[in-house]
Amino acid sequence: MSIPETIPIIGASWDDVLFVLFAAVMLGSALLVVTLRDIIRSGLAMIVCFGSLAGLYVLLGSPILAAAQVLVYIGAISVLVLFAIMLTQTKAGPARLVFQTQWWAAALAAVVLVVIFAAVVAATDWGAVAVRVQSTTDAVARLLFSDYTLPFEAVSVLLLAAVIGGIFLAKRDEVRD
Amino acid sequence: MTWTDFPIIAPLVAALLVAVAIIGVDMIAPGRSRPAIAVALVGLGIVAIAIVWTDQLVRTGQASGVAFGGAYTVDPLATYLDLVFVAIVALTVLFGPDYLGARDLPVAEYAAVLVFAMSGAMLIAGSSDLLVLFVALELMVLPGYLLAGFAKHDALSTEGAIKYFLLGSFSSAILLFGLAYIWGITGTTRIDGVAAALASAHGVSPALALGMALLTTGVAFKLAAVPFHYWTPDAYQGSPTPVTGFLSVGPKVGAIAIVLRLFVEALGPVHVDWMPVLAVLAVLTMTLGNLVAVSQTNVKRMLAYSSIAHTGYILVGFAVYANDPSGEGLTAVLFYAVAYAFMNLGAFAVVAALQKRPGVTSQLDTFAGLGRREPLLGLLMTLFLLSLTGIPPTAGFFAKALIILSAVQAGAPILGLAVVLNAIVAAFYYLRVVVYMYMREPQGEPAAVSHGALLRVGLAIAAAMTILIGLLPGPLIDAATTAARSLLPV
Repeated sequence: MSIPETIPIIGASWDDVLFVLFAAVMLGSALLVVTLRDIIRSGLAMIVCFGSLAGLYVLLGSPILAAAQVLVYIGAISVLVLFAIMLTQTKAGPARLVFQTQWWAAALAAVVLVVIFAAVVAATDWGAVAVRVQSTTDAVARLLFSDYTLPFEAVSVLLLAAVIGGIFLAKRDEVRD
Repeated sequence: MTWTDFPIIAPLVAALLVAVAIIGVDMIAPGRSRPAIAVALVGLGIVAIAIVWTDQLVRTGQASGVAFGGAYTVDPLATYLDLVFVAIVALTVLFGPDYLGARDLPVAEYAAVLVFAMSGAMLIAGSSDLLVLFVALELMVLPGYLLAGFAKHDALSTEGAIKYFLLGSFSSAILLFGLAYIWGITGTTRIDGVAAALASAHGVSPALALGMALLTTGVAFKLAAVPFHYWTPDAYQGSPTPVTGFLSVGPKVGAIAIVLRLFVEALGPVHVDWMPVLAVLAVLTMTLGNLVAVSQTNVKRMLAYSSIAHTGYILVGFAVYANDPSGEGLTAVLFYAVAYAFMNLGAFAVVAALQKRPGVTSQLDTFAGLGRREPLLGLLMTLFLLSLTGIPPTAGFFAKALIILSAVQAGAPILGLAVVLNAIVAAFYYLRVVVYMYMREPQGEPAAVSHGALLRVGLAIAAAMTILIGLLPGPLIDAATTAARSLLPV
């Protein structure tokens, strides 16, 4: 049995419905990240946000990007963030977020920006870029090792520099006499 | 890449090997600063030779100048900027050990991350792809975040580093968002492709305008232009002084390289739309930087605001270049970058020399009586401050003169007038330090001054270049003109 092109009764295509679903979850969880008062909950909401973004990547026809999103952002970064919160929080430290003192100004700026971005994106003719392409892993790999070798290599140098810096900042100083 | 690419990227490869070698030497002789500094200085010399060698190959046509299928290009501009970056990092390495050694901070890590930052800056100078440009930018600024927090047990240093890191990351994200818009409109990440696509398009679409706004914001953060300068005073004041010298020069010249590659080269066809914005930014930046600098009593913080003001002067060159077919504005920018690098690094080195003992602040009072106590150091500081003011016969005079001339030639004398008025305001706070050095008696025990050999060599080079460029500006103007021409349409 095959899945029908459009959803029965509603008449909308699967793509559209899934897009609305993922986008709503992503925006909702992103809002929770910035509005929740408990930083651990913010971190958990961030994982949901990253996950729904991976769903959007699948819909856009880029499974490799979605897989990387899940592996890197949910698998590595979110877990690291949660670990960092747990390891650095002390009883003396503020349990609540301390930066939410100008939320109304930030909210106003965010709303204005959303309006501007929406208007601009809608008003522009995006031409060839707006055509949906199915990007295969094979094609991505070919680009990475032909046209984009240099940025790829430069990123590895960047990571080396970051590792050296990170170790320097994090390592405990030897006790001197 | 193929083997024919190798001569083109040889300077970059050399720079990376130097960084790795410094870390390697530190593993063999842990905690000893001399071997690390020796490797760093010799290595930087080799990098400079490699840059000149590559330049010769490209000029004589033995190599194409393009590597990685058009993602990286060596032209006179890249060579010029690369040599400036090497000079900046070499001087910063010379100025570091005295200050760091007194505070038990490791020199090897300092030198290694500086060389990493340099390789990022060199990659920016030669990038002909937006993606390379962005990764190179990150490679340049990431070591800066670390260096700002290098004194990790000092609360001020950590505070400055966190502010620098957070705002730097936001601005990088904003810049990347802008790059995504440019890619979305033109469908390519190659800089020549972007320029061609924009040249054939009619007018500025809303998305392009938004993309340019995001790019301007991102670059203005990196340049520390008003109103995106809020991180600067805290990051500069908190950082270890030799690092402050580097941060005020290295990433700034790197950001100038971004403006050259991104705005002048990629967005050149739509320059009428972004130049007025830069003109406004330039005037705002120099005026606010100077006015706030006047009220500072801490010399490091004062020099931080002064560096904001110098960003404003440099932006004038960008704001006028296209109205003048000879590209005089870009020549002025490139000349200014070199003059500014030597005089500003020199000024910070004198501040660092005064902070021999940990805990000595950089308040104006520290300078009281310095001219009589340490005649040579006082004289050098006076020279650097006169050059920063723009008084002949120093490098700073010709730098300002070229900027003002380019503004007048491009039919924007009002911008030149703004520079002149600002230079007068700036003279007040620069010369106040001189007054303190020669006409005030020190309160209490004067601060000890460090006399390390490396510091002396570095100060001598910075002072010699400041005077030499002031007396014989011809060769540098020629080099800057050649470099600027490689950006202009033939």
